[in-house]
Amino acid sequence: MPPLRVEDVTVRFGGLTAVSDLSLHAEPGTITALIGPNGAGKTTTFNACTGVVKTSSGRVWLGDQRLDKMGTPARAAAGLGRTFQRMELFDSMTVSQNVAMGPESVFSSRHPWGQFFAPASEKKEIARRTRSALARCGLEASAGRRVRDLSTGQRRLVELARAIASPFRFLLLDEPSSGLDVHETEEFGQVLLSHVAETGIGVLLVEHDMALIADVSTEVYVLDFGQLIWSGHTPDAMTSEVVRAAYLGGEIAQEVLHA
Amino acid sequence: MNAAIHALKTDGFSGLSRKLGYTGWWLVAAALVVLLGTPVAAGRDLMPFVFAGVADGAIYSMAALGLVLTFKTSGIFNFAIGAQAAASAYVFYSFRMDAGLPWPVAFVLALLLVGIGGAFLLERMAYWLEEAPAIMKVVATIGLIVLLQSLLTGIYGTPTLQFPPFLSQKTVDIAGSTVLASQIIVTVLALAATIALTLFFKRSKVGAAMQALVDDPELLASQGTSPAVIRRYAWAIGSCFVSMSGMLIAPILGIDINLMLLLYITAFGAAALGAFDNLVVTFIAAIGIGIATNVLSIELAKIDSSFVSRLYTQVPFIALVAALLLVPKARLVERGGKRVRKLPPIHQLSPRVTVGLAVVTLAVFAAVPHVVPSVDLNQFTVGIGFAVVLVSLALLLWSSGQISLCHMAFAAIGAAAFSHAQSHGVPWIGCLLLAGLAALPAGAFVAIPSFRLSGVYLAVATFAFGLLAQNLLYPSEWMFGLDDTTPLIRPDWGGLDTKNDQGFYYLALVIAGLMVALVLAVRRSRLGRILQALADSPAALDAHGVRTKVTRLSVFCLSAFIAAIGGVIIGAANSGAGGNASGPFGYFNSLALITVLVFCGRRPVFGPVIAAFLFVVAKIYPPMDSAFMTDYRGVFFGLFALGVALWPGLRMPTLTERGAQRGSRSPVKDRTLQARPAAVEPETSEEKVLVSTR
Repeated sequence: MPPLRVEDVTVRFGGLTAVSDLSLHAEPGTITALIGPNGAGKTTTFNACTGVVKTSSGRVWLGDQRLDKMGTPARAAAGLGRTFQRMELFDSMTVSQNVAMGPESVFSSRHPWGQFFAPASEKKEIARRTRSALARCGLEASAGRRVRDLSTGQRRLVELARAIASPFRFLLLDEPSSGLDVHETEEFGQVLLSHVAETGIGVLLVEHDMALIADVSTEVYVLDFGQLIWSGHTPDAMTSEVVRAAYLGGEIAQEVLHA
Repeated sequence: MNAAIHALKTDGFSGLSRKLGYTGWWLVAAALVVLLGTPVAAGRDLMPFVFAGVADGAIYSMAALGLVLTFKTSGIFNFAIGAQAAASAYVFYSFRMDAGLPWPVAFVLALLLVGIGGAFLLERMAYWLEEAPAIMKVVATIGLIVLLQSLLTGIYGTPTLQFPPFLSQKTVDIAGSTVLASQIIVTVLALAATIALTLFFKRSKVGAAMQALVDDPELLASQGTSPAVIRRYAWAIGSCFVSMSGMLIAPILGIDINLMLLLYITAFGAAALGAFDNLVVTFIAAIGIGIATNVLSIELAKIDSSFVSRLYTQVPFIALVAALLLVPKARLVERGGKRVRKLPPIHQLSPRVTVGLAVVTLAVFAAVPHVVPSVDLNQFTVGIGFAVVLVSLALLLWSSGQISLCHMAFAAIGAAAFSHAQSHGVPWIGCLLLAGLAALPAGAFVAIPSFRLSGVYLAVATFAFGLLAQNLLYPSEWMFGLDDTTPLIRPDWGGLDTKNDQGFYYLALVIAGLMVALVLAVRRSRLGRILQALADSPAALDAHGVRTKVTRLSVFCLSAFIAAIGGVIIGAANSGAGGNASGPFGYFNSLALITVLVFCGRRPVFGPVIAAFLFVVAKIYPPMDSAFMTDYRGVFFGLFALGVALWPGLRMPTLTERGAQRGSRSPVKDRTLQARPAAVEPETSEEKVLVSTR
């Protein structure tokens, strides 16, 4: 599985610089966290990696494949998968249909005629991947339910199941525990860890839940106002004054430290 | 100017571009056109046409401003502004000509009745459509057009009503050209309205509230400002502008709703160039379209080509299509409520029920020639043709969530291509295939806007294409020609006897069956699943590697192919096809079809079949064949379409109730109730401090 490298990426919206000269390196087989307060540029970084927004400068690499000149579907076909902060599910479909659409979509991009014909071998592979992802995420009992009828937590799991069922080589997960309760978040962390351990895939995780970050990630990158202000090992992040200041504001952090 | 030069020096062209902004660029372009164009126009004796164009553009700009204002504040793109303007003109006519009232009194009464009264109804409609999906917003306003067109032609008849001028007809000499005082009055009025509205949005509290209304009505309500009142103001101003525009144009063009529906595309084009947001650019664009139309009417008349000499009439449509293709996508944001109610999913019938229904339907269709009088049979064949067109529209609409308001144009292209192929001696089946293939470029062309537009904007783009096809392609030699008719000859296959009505009915039934089978096969294929996913979440599909442009292109082309085959059936049933606006291939039928399809439900095949029966066949039987129903059938179609679009909104809780519901389902409340132990523990650990910031 390849690593994800972001080199000197800058994203501007008119006069506003949302991400400035960001570089990061996320290894395969590990979970790397990208954190920061609201508006720090985390989702914009994901959007820049996946081609949803154009970068003003910089490069994005998946292994030795340069992605930043490609469109969004081509990056996904190259193996870069993602989930969304605001969940993007196929609401008219059932859970299993949603999960199956993940690999089916990626396979459809492999041939010019891929959207029109599905070879029997692909059908079998899609079914196998769907079963496996449903089992891993504990969604087998809900497989026949429409996703629009599920709770937020279950919907998050469906989105994760769709991503891990797809033949991606690196995953970007955008606030996957948002809307989950404590129990669901813990379960979510376990699912993620076991998937990474089994497949060796790399994950870049945008998350506000520091408990989850502490549980699953090994490296942390901290963004504030579009700039990288800190990076290092996860345990160090939890005690870093810079990280706390970014989240709480400098004065509040000082008060907390001196209390 | 100094700021612009400074920006150019410091940040280069991109800095200058940012500094000028969209309005700045348009003002610079307008100034250049005036500076460079005036000597040219004066040299070619075109100034009278320029002044006439300014006056025409000023009148349309008022409607465009009304359209932009209401779209900005409610997310409802009022396709019916032409019908509303016509309604005002007709009512004005009644008060002025029939009741003999002085024109100012008649003008104010019509303004109150149609402008303010219409505003009240439209505001309610906008409220009920607040959370509706784009298709329902489109269907509601299209339903309004169908309703008003039927009602007004039923009451006032189809001939154009002549209306004597009511503003001063004195003449003034400007730059050696004679200009009517009425032209100056309307121009000054429109300019003043633009400036006043722009200042109103920027400076007044109500203007700011209108902007806030767009972003978050519930938040606005929580600040003590009633969204309903603000929305009412916006609709009152917008609706009055549209009404005034209709009454001002009446003496120039006469009153004819069908003509006004077409001419008010100028307002659509101007609003599109203003990105459906910018009032100043909308005004400039309307004036520009007015001038271009008037000047080109003279300049192009010198060219010996009927196609080119008619191009001047297409300036508004070309402006609209160009704007939708070229205006930066970031400016074409979807307006309206943030929460959008999703359409209920299409429930798959079990295979047993599907087969049962298919057998019963086939049996009924097979029995038709033996049950109905032979004189009526052809109408059933035409109905089959329309059912095929509707099946293709349903594929686009229900399977992939794409809106098309130009489907009869695809059908017309099919009929015309069939006729041309037949005249070159191609066998009947070959002609049928060529007809379908001929519609593919049109399908691909219409798909292009769908790459960057969706929802209401795509509806506007397809609406423009339908009108462009009607006005530019239909009369060309490639299609129906200036004679407006081409023959479609039924096949002569010896023993099958397909030349007579009964034989051709069965042939049409077989072709329709094949098209239905094609649609069902697509729905069950990978493409069908991708289309369904596309309707739900294009972003998720993109992120999983699907080239959604290919998907959109494929579905538009497939839909156009099937619609073209439907067009051949319609044409061959009638033994010929033409491009008359009131004929089967007229653009108005594209609008009517989508309304009738929506109220027949979200079934991919049975919905279109029932819709075709209601649209084509039912009208030859009582009570639909009565004189009253013939005149007012559109009123019922329009009302049904409005009912279907508005019904979920009518059952929607009030804003206060929704606010309460929103509070009770707030994630903050959930977190408070189910607070994590880490968050409620004393903040002794540095790690816990961060947890509590969630």
